[in-house]
Amino acid sequence: MHLDTPIMPGRVDWTGENPGILLKDDNDDFSAMALFFRVSWSPAGQGQLLLLYSDLQSDHGSASQPNALIGDNPQLADFLMENFIGKLGAFRQARPYDHLKYQPAFNIRSSGDPTSHRYTESISTSELFIELVWEDLEQPRMLELVPEQTGTKEHFMTTLLVPAKSAQIIVNGKALAGKIGSRIQAGMETTTAFLYFGETWVIPEG
Amino acid sequence: MNKAGPMRTAINTGRIEWSGENPGIYLKENADGDYSTLGLFFRVVLSPYGRGTGAIVLGEPDTPDGWPKVPNFIIGDNQRLFMWLIDGWISKMPTFVGRIGLDHMSWIDLLGSTKHPTDLKSKYTESLMGKGIEVQMIWQELGVPLPVELTAANSVTREHEMYAVFLEAQKARIRVNNAPLKGSVQSRQFFGKTMSTAFLALSETWITPKRMS
Repeated sequence: MHLDTPIMPGRVDWTGENPGILLKDDNDDFSAMALFFRVSWSPAGQGQLLLLYSDLQSDHGSASQPNALIGDNPQLADFLMENFIGKLGAFRQARPYDHLKYQPAFNIRSSGDPTSHRYTESISTSELFIELVWEDLEQPRMLELVPEQTGTKEHFMTTLLVPAKSAQIIVNGKALAGKIGSRIQAGMETTTAFLYFGETWVIPEG
Repeated sequence: MNKAGPMRTAINTGRIEWSGENPGIYLKENADGDYSTLGLFFRVVLSPYGRGTGAIVLGEPDTPDGWPKVPNFIIGDNQRLFMWLIDGWISKMPTFVGRIGLDHMSWIDLLGSTKHPTDLKSKYTESLMGKGIEVQMIWQELGVPLPVELTAANSVTREHEMYAVFLEAQKARIRVNNAPLKGSVQSRQFFGKTMSTAFLALSETWITPKRMS
């Protein structure tokens, strides 16, 4: 991308916040995955959505380990599942993907400070209270990635990354098993627990 | 660097200043005149002074007085954050430079705020409430989102790089206690093209380049 072009060529697919926590077991396999969206613009409007895989070995999970899709805009959930999450290999290839049923959220709120120690997203339904907790937060870094560097392999993406050195996914008061691991993004070693603010996905021209 | 100019790298080496939403409404009573009303809304999610929500409204930008005498005020929930934003950003924006109303505006505590984005096309409203005051900023007839990326040389502060998604609004107004402030949306040269003086600015991040930080 050239610096002397103020407006990037391409079409905005969606923009907003997109934090996540990926937990691993002792064999370095994923044991639980959570991806949260707070979308400020999309063709399906604004909204918030949580994708949670508590049990990657079953279709629906259980009461204590649910596989869930919870939000406040069902059209946005459809849009993200088909056009975005479905293009992220680790989420699309997971067993629960084809079995998720959208549930309306009762309440969704964030708390904490991404430049301090702890940040949370809390999502509740009539039966579930889910907390995503990021702690030991690192300095924010602005990333600008070309399609080959992104999860979808189709978009340009700009985002403000705040890595976390520890994180938990808590379902009805009980933390899911697993610990965060390391990953490489744009040649940089980082963790599998991350806050992403001001994230914009752009479909390149042509 | 190549023939077309410098290229971005995947990881920006500058210092992150703040990130959030920063839509604005600048109104004029006639196309050739000066601005009659200036309004900027802020929803900051990351900064050295924490998070915050608020708006600056100068309904008489060149009058050295504040609310309730004239509609010049800042309403917000994080004074340290807004003092920092005024010092580092707002006072350096060409639209606000030299506006005496900025030095005399009243500071009002934010008691509550709500957002009504509707379909992100026809109408988008930010509402703020303080003691004895209700403010509505309303954008209408919104265009397509434009992904924007500015160098320090191109940004309004001349000091920061900036990433954002902009949506132009063909119509906009600011109402204070249900009374509309003066002026209507005009056009201006921005980002190298003719654009509206009312806009949403989403996913906005400001960075001080490494050589300046």
